[in-house]
Amino acid sequence: MPFNAKLDEAMMRRPEQVMRLDRMGSSFQTRLSFMRALIRRMSKEKWQFEKLRQDVDQNGFGVSVYAAHTPVRTYSLVAFTQDIPADMRTDRVIAEVWDATFNLFDGVPTQEDIDYLTNNTPKQEGGRFRPSELSLSRANKSLRLFEHITSTLAEGKQPDIDLVASVGYIMRTTAVYGSGKFGCADRAKIADREECKVSFHMELLTVYLIRWFTIDLVETIAKKRGGDRAVSLEPHIRQFIGVGNSTGLGMAPFLLKHPVLIHNWVTAKETALARVRSLETPIQGSLEAFIESVNQVAQHLKEWRVADEIQSARIEKLEAEVERLGHWCGDEDNLTKPYPWNSIYQFAEDNFSLECQEMVVSLVIEPNGALVDDLADTMFATTVPQFEADMSLVKLKSIVKDCYAWATGIDFSLGESQHHFWYYSEDKLEPRFGSTGVDKGVDQEMPLAIGRDADDLSEQLKTASDDMTVGEFAMQYPEFRHIIRRIQNTALRPYAEVQDNLLGEKMRPLDLLRFKLAFFGASKFDPKSDLWTRISMYQGAPMPDQLADANHDDWAFPIRPKRSA
Amino acid sequence: MSDQLTISLNEILFIFTRAGFGVNAPIGVSEDFARSNIWLAENGFDPSLCSIVALDSLDEKKSSLEIEQDNANLSGSSTQYLSALQASVSALDWIKSDQGVSLTITNVDSPLLVVAALGANQVKGWQVSWSDEAGTNFQVNFVDEGKWQIISDGSRAIELSKGATMSLCMLGGTEIALEGELRRLNSIIEKNKILQTGVAVHEHWDAIYAYFSRCLVKSTAESRASGAGAGLVDTD
Repeated sequence: MPFNAKLDEAMMRRPEQVMRLDRMGSSFQTRLSFMRALIRRMSKEKWQFEKLRQDVDQNGFGVSVYAAHTPVRTYSLVAFTQDIPADMRTDRVIAEVWDATFNLFDGVPTQEDIDYLTNNTPKQEGGRFRPSELSLSRANKSLRLFEHITSTLAEGKQPDIDLVASVGYIMRTTAVYGSGKFGCADRAKIADREECKVSFHMELLTVYLIRWFTIDLVETIAKKRGGDRAVSLEPHIRQFIGVGNSTGLGMAPFLLKHPVLIHNWVTAKETALARVRSLETPIQGSLEAFIESVNQVAQHLKEWRVADEIQSARIEKLEAEVERLGHWCGDEDNLTKPYPWNSIYQFAEDNFSLECQEMVVSLVIEPNGALVDDLADTMFATTVPQFEADMSLVKLKSIVKDCYAWATGIDFSLGESQHHFWYYSEDKLEPRFGSTGVDKGVDQEMPLAIGRDADDLSEQLKTASDDMTVGEFAMQYPEFRHIIRRIQNTALRPYAEVQDNLLGEKMRPLDLLRFKLAFFGASKFDPKSDLWTRISMYQGAPMPDQLADANHDDWAFPIRPKRSA
Repeated sequence: MSDQLTISLNEILFIFTRAGFGVNAPIGVSEDFARSNIWLAENGFDPSLCSIVALDSLDEKKSSLEIEQDNANLSGSSTQYLSALQASVSALDWIKSDQGVSLTITNVDSPLLVVAALGANQVKGWQVSWSDEAGTNFQVNFVDEGKWQIISDGSRAIELSKGATMSLCMLGGTEIALEGELRRLNSIIEKNKILQTGVAVHEHWDAIYAYFSRCLVKSTAESRASGAGAGLVDTD
């Protein structure tokens, strides 16, 4: 596909437009999102899936192993299930027990490995893991749906679609740890493997296998209960069942600590949008697919119901805007001119809420896979940030002035500008978002106050001689070393920084969570407060036995299946 | 914690950065300290052995982060050791800025950390030598990409070497060849091994973790209630 690089560049949205919390908090999955890219890889490379072991009792408690065979190696999900007291079931990091606990094992585990994990995996953060374990995770049942599905299947019936749709998953993960956490394999161990290169692919393979495991588990229990009378889930219902997830503040520090990676993610998405907007003539059939997707999204929005008042209002507005978009697209004049994708995007930007604008970004990218899918392979980073001691202070001053105006423009002397601080609690290192003057821990603040630190540096630089090097300045003012390094490494990466005050009184960590989760490919954001949200993952995605289907990639904005005949 | 634990490189980054901060080193300096410890671990060393010397010394105020540069000499206070946390970043900055072909660093508490900072930043063609308080002479040569050597004239482990004035010079110039036991290392090969096995840390790990723990905030009923997920009733 030939690109007009100049036009693409002109169509790129500006960082100060994209990297704002309100827009980030309106993000949706796109076809570049990690779950989407992983499914395409599995299908293209014809991964094989195999249940290697299932030793569970009548209630489904025991150990199971599910394997994904890539063309060159095998990854195995080791799953432990147990009975837990109802009052100890919580989504918080500080939970002590879970219905199910998991590791993604690098290869096929031996009995010795299973024995080791039996003693560690159910303890989660309290266990110790080895480089053979690529991830660590846990999940709790949706009590309503788990029991409903097992009992109806045991009776030879299919579950109530309305109930399935209202929850969307059988189990809900509450953490998926990777990259060396609790002794698990470092990312460097697997970073050179093609299937691991892109961010979070192993963590999301874990989740994909957990989804398969949860569906297989309810079917197994149903068989044990119902015997010959029991049935399996119909394929279209299976496909609609995803995995839930509860995500809290732990995601926010990651986002802020990996600016180069974030730049690469956002660059990929924005390049995809720019490429699509730059198309003078649409790829054959793509506009029709887009119009069809607008109709499907309208239905998806009707099924996206949350208790949170702010999000409910946003969804309601979004529904009206999508309807208006549908009408606008129905006017032939609007889509028959050159650059129709740009017209659609521009119409959304000029008329709709941020939530709808970002929905439109996802929708216009969706039917243009041939044009953008290569970008999914660029969504990783290998750079270790360097401190450039020989940089002149003049140059540093100029970078701060040009790239951090968003930070130096904030008045940090105001109480409201430093209302919050981020810290780790001694309770299982749970990240928390404190209020200055209310919560203890200001002295142990995490170094995530990027804007404030850049502003402080800017002030100090005003007093420093232009003749100095950055190394000389840092020897005199070592307290600025971290922010200088950050600035040096983000100067040429315009999408690296969240261009808002992360300490401000009105700051909602939820915006950061949604931004990151959208890159993962999550849907149906269900905020429970400003600090955490529930989501669905892989809802509508093909099951392992559907990966070879021609429509394996058509699962964006899933809608609930019709009742069976 | 047991006497031996296997940890990941990412845990070293997380724990050591905050352990440095826990003894009041600036966060940027602590980040470099952690990177140095990762490099040591990648080369098969228990990083806690030399780092505990530097952290204890800073915490007990036997060492100082204050540093001064006088041409090709870095020194700290006359009554305290120069902390390796600060010495290592300053030495590295000096080398990276091409300020000369030889440098002296006076009275460093834990010399191996200075070596590690150079290694972590792929410095090559430099020699580091010192004679420590116990009278053992050490020489480290950064020969080529990932290849380095340790020469020592005593039996004392280099991780335990303490209190030394260090000389850094470019190889191929005025360096001195030390007679002693030669150990050749290859960071790339050693790192690949460590990625398969994890990093073994021993008796000093608990003390490192204790410094790290200073960055954690005690939990209260109020802070628990304000955490993400608080107040949840599992009804889905």
